[in-house]
Amino acid sequence: MSEKSTPFFIGFLPVPDGLRGFLMVACAGLVIAFTALAYMIGTTQADPGPAQFRFDLGAQTLTGTMTALPYPVLHVTNGTETVAAGRSILLSANGKNGVQSRIEDGAVVTASGPLLQRGTLDMMQVRGGRRGIKAEPDVTAIEVVSESLGRWQMAGEICDGKCLTGAMRPGRGIAHRACANLCISGGVPPVFVSAQPVEGEEFFLVGDSDGNPIGPDLTEFTALYIQVEGEVRKLGDMHMFLMDVDTIKVLP
Amino acid sequence: MSVKYIPVQWNPNKWVYDAVLIVMMVIYLWVFLMLAPDRLDHERVINPQINAMRAFGSCAFLMLTVILCLGPLARLDRRFLPLVYNRRHFGVLTLIVALSHLAFVLDWYYAFSPTAPLEGLLSANTSFTRTLGFPFEMLGLFALVVLFVMAVTSHDFWLKFLTPRIWKRLHFLIYPAYAAVVGHVALGALQDQTNMVFAAVTLVSACLVGGLHLAAVILDKPAPAASGDWVSVAAVESFEDGRAKIVELGDGERAAVFRMGRDLAAISNACAHQNGPLGEGRIIDGCVTCPWHGFQYRLFDGRSPEPFTEKVPTYGLRMHNGMVELNRVANPPGTPTDPISLPEDVA
Amino acid sequence: MTASFVLTLGEYWLWIGALVAVVFLTIGIDRIDEDARGAYIFRVLLVPGVLAIWPLVLMRWFTLETGRDAWRGRHTTERHIHAGCWWVLAIALPLIVLGGLALKQNWPDDFTPVRIGDAQ
Repeated sequence: MSEKSTPFFIGFLPVPDGLRGFLMVACAGLVIAFTALAYMIGTTQADPGPAQFRFDLGAQTLTGTMTALPYPVLHVTNGTETVAAGRSILLSANGKNGVQSRIEDGAVVTASGPLLQRGTLDMMQVRGGRRGIKAEPDVTAIEVVSESLGRWQMAGEICDGKCLTGAMRPGRGIAHRACANLCISGGVPPVFVSAQPVEGEEFFLVGDSDGNPIGPDLTEFTALYIQVEGEVRKLGDMHMFLMDVDTIKVLP
Repeated sequence: MSVKYIPVQWNPNKWVYDAVLIVMMVIYLWVFLMLAPDRLDHERVINPQINAMRAFGSCAFLMLTVILCLGPLARLDRRFLPLVYNRRHFGVLTLIVALSHLAFVLDWYYAFSPTAPLEGLLSANTSFTRTLGFPFEMLGLFALVVLFVMAVTSHDFWLKFLTPRIWKRLHFLIYPAYAAVVGHVALGALQDQTNMVFAAVTLVSACLVGGLHLAAVILDKPAPAASGDWVSVAAVESFEDGRAKIVELGDGERAAVFRMGRDLAAISNACAHQNGPLGEGRIIDGCVTCPWHGFQYRLFDGRSPEPFTEKVPTYGLRMHNGMVELNRVANPPGTPTDPISLPEDVA
Repeated sequence: MTASFVLTLGEYWLWIGALVAVVFLTIGIDRIDEDARGAYIFRVLLVPGVLAIWPLVLMRWFTLETGRDAWRGRHTTERHIHAGCWWVLAIALPLIVLGGLALKQNWPDDFTPVRIGDAQ
């Protein structure tokens, strides 16, 4: 349309006839485009993975011996159908909190709360107070065996164990990186997801090379796909990966 | 135009404009939040909170994209001007959607933590030296702050108080902000997508905003600035009644020479309101009318008709060898000038 | 803690802004803008703006109060800056998206874990 024949729009006057049709088409186009885009973007979101809170299984009550490092693990001696005796399970408190302040290394406790599950990885979100963790001074602690499975080089991703197991869906990846770091700094056990299983295991509790909780030098790599070396250990029934931060390479 | 300030100046066109915006936004969110979750190509449920973050985040991004496209579109085709007319409401609505996005993020990713949400937002990821894993949240936060500053300075008072020049410099921040939003999406959400639809939408949006602005720049090249005290405008007979010719005076100064009946007179091309191009406007009811927001000025003294108080500079004209010439030294805003009359032999 | 320091700074910024808003919107605005005289409701709308850009508010208030405001600046535009900026944008925006996509990692499921030795 040429400059001269373009109707002149003045905001406080009615829209000129020649423009009305054009504007209606433009507005309808925008509304239709937004509808289509919402549908296209909304329905193509990535699969959050096979992880979720298992409220359907009911609260689990497990008795066992605690190990504190690198992160609290309950080695079950009296379990349930879902988490049987002999299993080792990660613990977290409500929200982005660990249970570090509520347990002692080697103590026998009864822990209770709902489970989170991703494949073979379980985590219990223990309830608050004594309903969640209760000392069992009358039960004898077992000796938790810690055995080295050698040094390994693996590729995969450091996640926080709670969101990964279904507290958030999706609970991994870059958009979730800050959340994962907050979880880990709050005491939630970090988990390394290996791209391929090692000794039949895909998920590893992460510790630093001395077997301690990880610091900022390792959370720097949360949510990135990395190649890393370290020692694989089996603590009770829990696989651990004690990473050498110097060997980390971010993959292309 | 202002006499006394009121919170929002409404008129029927603005009501329609806002209604369309709200319908567009509500449908987008409704489809994303209510319709899409049951139609994913996988069985596993995405947290409603995360779905909401994505719905509001992508909606704000697309709204901002449209806002930025409207400016150059209106330069390329004047029929889009009415869509620019009430763009500030579009901006304010976009801010609200973007703030909702932030609220969902803070209330989920940064909630339930011993660290306070805002503190978590600033401290949970500080890998500023990385590209992958860069704190893309900060890019979004920067854009949000810019949107906020723009929205809260969108009242006409601010234009007059800050002057259009400073106001525009402030609002120019929307361009780095949009680049930051694109970075926010590219280094954040896009990294986790397995399906490329959102990546394609982002790329198209970025190309549209960049491409349209570039097209507007290329097609809208200003004429070289004239030199000398008297600037030649055009041949006497080439003026069309009710329209103007624009003269480039250098340093961003332009004058608009209008013909009204048999008279010619010149005022600044920059509207006192938002520096809209008066010379692209028309004379309506005896007043030069700005094509952007309809501000009006009397041609012979550059003043808005009573009771309005806006003023623009005026310029002196003369006729010389069949050409209309303009005195490049502007008269202070609102100075009456003597129009020149067209010779009898001009139609 | 850098984060809490930044938040504290932000808090101070807003408090000073609140102070400026009170003084400017009750006294200053009437002195420098005749259209504001007798109009009060719209001032509430200006509060967030003053909170955000109070240094600029003080600067402009000073300029207007002391009669230093130059009318010429109100009627010159800065299109040339726009032109340069839009060239940059047109190139940068697609590059940012493409750069992000180039950085995108693939899940390394072809990487076979290697046992590299016994524990040290």
